[in-house]
Amino acid sequence: MTTSLADHLRSLPDDSLAALLQLRPDLVVPVPADVSALAIRAQSRVSVARALDGLDQFTLQILDAARLTRDPDAGTTTAEAILAMAGGGARPPAPAAIRGALGRLRALFLLYGPEHELRVVGGVDEVSPYPAGLGRPAAELDPRSAAVCADPAKLRRTLLAAPASARAVLDRLAAGPPVGSVPPGSLQAPAVGAEDALPPDVTNGGAPTGSPVRWLVEHRLLVRVSSGKGGGTVELPREVGLLLRRETGPLGPISTTPPPVSGPPREAKAVDSAGAGQTMEVVRHTEALLETLAAEPAPVLRSGGVGVRDLRRLARVLGLDDPTTALLFEVAYAAGLLGELDLTGSATARYGGDQQVLPTGGYEVWRALSLAQRWEQLARAWLTMTRQPGLVGQRDDRDRPIPVLSAEAERAGAPASRRAVLGVLADLEPATAPTPDETLALLEWRAPRRARGREAAHREVLAEAAQLGVTGLGALTSYGRLLLADVTEADERAGGDPLGLLSEAESGDPSTAVRALDALLPAPVDHVLVQADLTVVVPGPPDPALAGELDVVAEHESAGGASVYRVTPASVRRALDAGYSADDLHALFRRRSRTPVPQGLAYLVDDVARKHGGLRVGSAGGYVRSDDEALLTEVLADRRLESLAFRRLAPTVLMTPYQVNRMLVALRDAGYAPVPEDAGGATVLTRPKIRRAPARTPVSTRAVDPLATPRLPMPRLLGVVEQIRRGDAAARAARRAPAVVRGAPPSGPAPVHGHSEALAVLQQAVRDKALVWVGYVDAHGATASRLVRPVSMGAGYLRAEDERTEMLHTFALHRITAAVLED
Amino acid sequence: MSGGPLIVQSDKTLLLEIDHPDAQACRMAIAPFAELERSPEHVHTYRLTPLGLWNARAAGHDAEGVVDSLIKYSRYPVPHALLVDVAETMDRYGRLQLANDPAHGLVLRALDRVVLVEVAKSKKLAGMLGNKIDDDTIQVHPSERGRLKQALLKLGWPAEDLAGYVDGEAHPIELAEAGKDGGKPFTLRSYQREAVEAFWAGGSGVVVLPCGAGKTLVGAAAMAEAKATTLILVTNTVAGRQWKRELIARTSLTEEEIGEYSGERKEIRPVTIATYQVLTSRRGGAFTHLDLFGARDWGLVVYDEVHLLPAPIFRFTADLQARRRLGLTATLVREDGREGDVFSLIGPKRYDAPWKDIEQQGWIAPAECTEVRVTLTDAERMSYATAEAEERYRMAATARTKLPVVRALVERHPSEQVLVIGGFLDQLHQLGEYLDAPIVQGSTTNKERERLFDAFRSGEVRTLVISKVGNFSIDLPEAAVAIQVSGTFGSRQEEAQRLGRVLRPKADGRQAHFYTVVSRDTIDTEYAAHRQRFLAEQGYAYTIVDADDVLGPSLPSFD
Repeated sequence: MTTSLADHLRSLPDDSLAALLQLRPDLVVPVPADVSALAIRAQSRVSVARALDGLDQFTLQILDAARLTRDPDAGTTTAEAILAMAGGGARPPAPAAIRGALGRLRALFLLYGPEHELRVVGGVDEVSPYPAGLGRPAAELDPRSAAVCADPAKLRRTLLAAPASARAVLDRLAAGPPVGSVPPGSLQAPAVGAEDALPPDVTNGGAPTGSPVRWLVEHRLLVRVSSGKGGGTVELPREVGLLLRRETGPLGPISTTPPPVSGPPREAKAVDSAGAGQTMEVVRHTEALLETLAAEPAPVLRSGGVGVRDLRRLARVLGLDDPTTALLFEVAYAAGLLGELDLTGSATARYGGDQQVLPTGGYEVWRALSLAQRWEQLARAWLTMTRQPGLVGQRDDRDRPIPVLSAEAERAGAPASRRAVLGVLADLEPATAPTPDETLALLEWRAPRRARGREAAHREVLAEAAQLGVTGLGALTSYGRLLLADVTEADERAGGDPLGLLSEAESGDPSTAVRALDALLPAPVDHVLVQADLTVVVPGPPDPALAGELDVVAEHESAGGASVYRVTPASVRRALDAGYSADDLHALFRRRSRTPVPQGLAYLVDDVARKHGGLRVGSAGGYVRSDDEALLTEVLADRRLESLAFRRLAPTVLMTPYQVNRMLVALRDAGYAPVPEDAGGATVLTRPKIRRAPARTPVSTRAVDPLATPRLPMPRLLGVVEQIRRGDAAARAARRAPAVVRGAPPSGPAPVHGHSEALAVLQQAVRDKALVWVGYVDAHGATASRLVRPVSMGAGYLRAEDERTEMLHTFALHRITAAVLED
Repeated sequence: MSGGPLIVQSDKTLLLEIDHPDAQACRMAIAPFAELERSPEHVHTYRLTPLGLWNARAAGHDAEGVVDSLIKYSRYPVPHALLVDVAETMDRYGRLQLANDPAHGLVLRALDRVVLVEVAKSKKLAGMLGNKIDDDTIQVHPSERGRLKQALLKLGWPAEDLAGYVDGEAHPIELAEAGKDGGKPFTLRSYQREAVEAFWAGGSGVVVLPCGAGKTLVGAAAMAEAKATTLILVTNTVAGRQWKRELIARTSLTEEEIGEYSGERKEIRPVTIATYQVLTSRRGGAFTHLDLFGARDWGLVVYDEVHLLPAPIFRFTADLQARRRLGLTATLVREDGREGDVFSLIGPKRYDAPWKDIEQQGWIAPAECTEVRVTLTDAERMSYATAEAEERYRMAATARTKLPVVRALVERHPSEQVLVIGGFLDQLHQLGEYLDAPIVQGSTTNKERERLFDAFRSGEVRTLVISKVGNFSIDLPEAAVAIQVSGTFGSRQEEAQRLGRVLRPKADGRQAHFYTVVSRDTIDTEYAAHRQRFLAEQGYAYTIVDADDVLGPSLPSFD
């Protein structure tokens, strides 16, 4: 079979072969040496599994039909047989649809050969052992069972006689998969004399002695295929399965189209609006998260990640639940906004960690972007990050909660899951909102092999997409669609442009998604409404200058579409501390407010300003005090002491910024007799330095899906094809190496003679740069031959180039047995 | 972006810009499910609370409608998460129902079995539930109806109360809108009518109206609607007599039909007015007057000034869940934070109107609020600075420096009736002497109070100094100026009640004045700011002036 697929491939025109490689790009990683290698790889379990992964449910069913209709001896089937089987159900699909599926399978070379002699590639049976969920034919399982199956009438009678509970077992196995494990002891006959004590068999599975499985095995409807301590497994013979599927057809229910979506069609505007509202929330919450982390960085656990306690703290501060906080945390990290900082001393670490998570320098850049751009950066990071935030907080193998940012939440398949889920939504009509279950059903139909077992991950993706505002009211938003298209396109571009020469990601132009989102988001406002209860309302997102001013002069009370601030005595004091004067504040409110400034606010500002600075605080290096005011006046006036920069704080106190010792020396030098005093405390005010972790590259600049193999552009594919062809030609040539060099028994000329003649041939070949067949004895004593182009000869060695492998070989001359020019 | 008047905040507050052309329509749309929190001059703040959303569900609004109105009037995109939260919260209501079962009496019935299992396990409901009748139904002790509802609310699964109300003993009551015994005819004002309708439709609940806006009449109209025996709970005897006067004047009830149940008299008649005080008085550790609740088959219980409802009455109220209950108040801010209990035991807020709206309609007098800051003398500052923390407020509030300022303020309004309100008796006595005005305080007998109030109403007494008794409903319609010299720390509702004393509409529509005299740079200022918060949020803008501006250029000498 292997050779036949290889032959088949070899006979294809170049562009067909290229088409195959385009459909199954994994075949050329690495580039196979020749067509045989290509054929072997195309039938390998891994590659076939990959090809099957991408198929929808219907195409897989047609493949199953092909497998079921195979002639047991020849291993071939025909398109007619497949059509007949697939059309055998209660609601047969259109033949055109079946032919379309066959076309897809043949394009992938899962089926090959002419229509009347179709073959299934070998790997398929390895990848999925039970075609269409049917068991093996009875003949392969058990002769006694085969005997039962051989008589259809008897088989039917036996089936009808099956008790209800046994019938239930059969139906379940018939729906596939056809094997089931049975509890220990269930297949044993009850003890002698205990038969009467058996309870009536109403529901199955209860008492092992009355087990319906035993009944089925005894009546040969099930075959026990293995036994062990665990009880063993039973298999349903194919014939029984087919009989049970009379109603639905041998392949089970067939659906040629994806399941329909019943979800109410939404108004596109409402979808975008809900999504846009959510994007504002996400950006705001992320900013709050980063600010919180800047104020108090989260320590990294020894085992990696950030602990549950810190996550809860953040969630509490943000007013979000833990999963949402974990999501934002992971996304911010993936976007390069958060990073770890090594602690030099462990004094700042709260419990043992020597790393902290805090905002990176990239946060500064991000903060300066527009709302839509900030969101885009987060959404891109989410799409491409190989993390599954939904796992955070769940229990790991050792029953410990998985911390955020830990290695346990790493899932290489996460980007693929996101793309798959969003892809399903993107393929629907805009603003269609399927329920999560419907979305999962769609995924299941589109790529059953991929969707299986990932339902939980897919549900998480849906929830995350809603949280991040990629979807709104359950439907993909317009800007979400654009972003997805953009990312997909970037992916494809990256495949054809490995060096990133054509990349325009850095060109600075906002993407289409950003522009679309920008149009939905409110424009920044630069005015406020000031009210008598001292609240200041910004009726929209404040522009950065206004936000900066308000953060100083008022307390933030409520955020969202608008911001509410409250002016308090403390906030006014803070503004005064920051350098505003009372007049500045009056002017600020007058300038920014659309409404008259209430008298109460003006009074508050004046009142606080009046008291501001009523107490003065400073630091001093030392002081001189004396009850003799005249003496202090003398000291102050003394020119020799000018360097001490005395200041008179009170009639009896002088102050200097310099240290006591220096002052003492200077005073004594000048002829005074000071006595040092016990010093009191002095307050030193310092500003805390803002720390940032070293910059990190956001994941979104990396390849999007590390699992997906890059798509290859046509010219490159053709190049690959050419390479394979060349290899193939060489391999074929290898088989035709002349008998002399193939190390045939030395029947011809004497070896010595052969050797010297070979050297002569080689010398000639070096001069002519001609191809030569070289026969030689390798290090293990085996004879081998190689078609090479000699490059040089000397010092007992021949250096020659093998054009097929493009490698330079060195042969010891004394090992060369023969050399024949290539004809 | 629709450019609507509403901005939805992520902390579930709704900002309504009232100068927007759609503001009125938007207010009507969101009022059923959002609670009005603040109503200053430009932007009103509403809040979405679970309670508010559930009340909306109870009143027949569904989540779709709520979400629609939010989206319709919102200026900016509404966050998806908030919409989901609204829908989910509203979905929790009514999964459980309290109903009357013909065979088993009061039962808790589940439309969602899982919820019933969940709440039945809760320790908080221990002892309230009786036997399980079937998978979806559990018997409830009738006496636990209120407590059960309260506990379910706390568990987040509010029950829909379908058990209904008892009608009570019927008694004919009519509003005498045509005028009675030669009295002037009147009609219910539109907001009073709306309040009564909202209350009656909801069965039980609280009506919030500004002081002086005619809450008594709302009570009377509710009684006329119930046409049943009524128990009215009021704060004190004087307030009770005012109710009685008002009821006789405005309804078909006669003097003989209305009983007074107070410290002085113990009459139980078809309409009985009882004071909180007498109900909560104990003898030997037992409440001796609780029988009043069971004395008749009351069809309606009215709680006046429900924000002052004492804690024991809460407990009695829990037992009265089968009777219609009406709470009346101007300020549903309780300094003890038990607003939630008021809602769950008496009923949700059924009607609320911004003070400024009623003022614009002319039903309460427009008021000008002024804070006068006096500067303490150096000696006073010194003694304030060295005073103990608990003495500080008293020292600041009762500073003698305030006296001339108060006199100056009184003299500013020579033709008005002036109330001087304070919290400290010493200070009131000083003021009484200084202003030569009579004092009404807690120890003043009811008879003397009535005499002084009558004298004040008739204009015989122009200035009256009153203590905390002025916090409660005393009806002094002609008072146009109130001067507050001290109060109960930072009580917001006290400030509002005191303002309410001067809000009765004046015959000639003239303005009312409310002054609060505060010592500068002391804790008095801080309390004043806190006290003013409620009114500021209702749109009353305080003007702050210095005492020197009041006193004029020359300071009167004062020792």
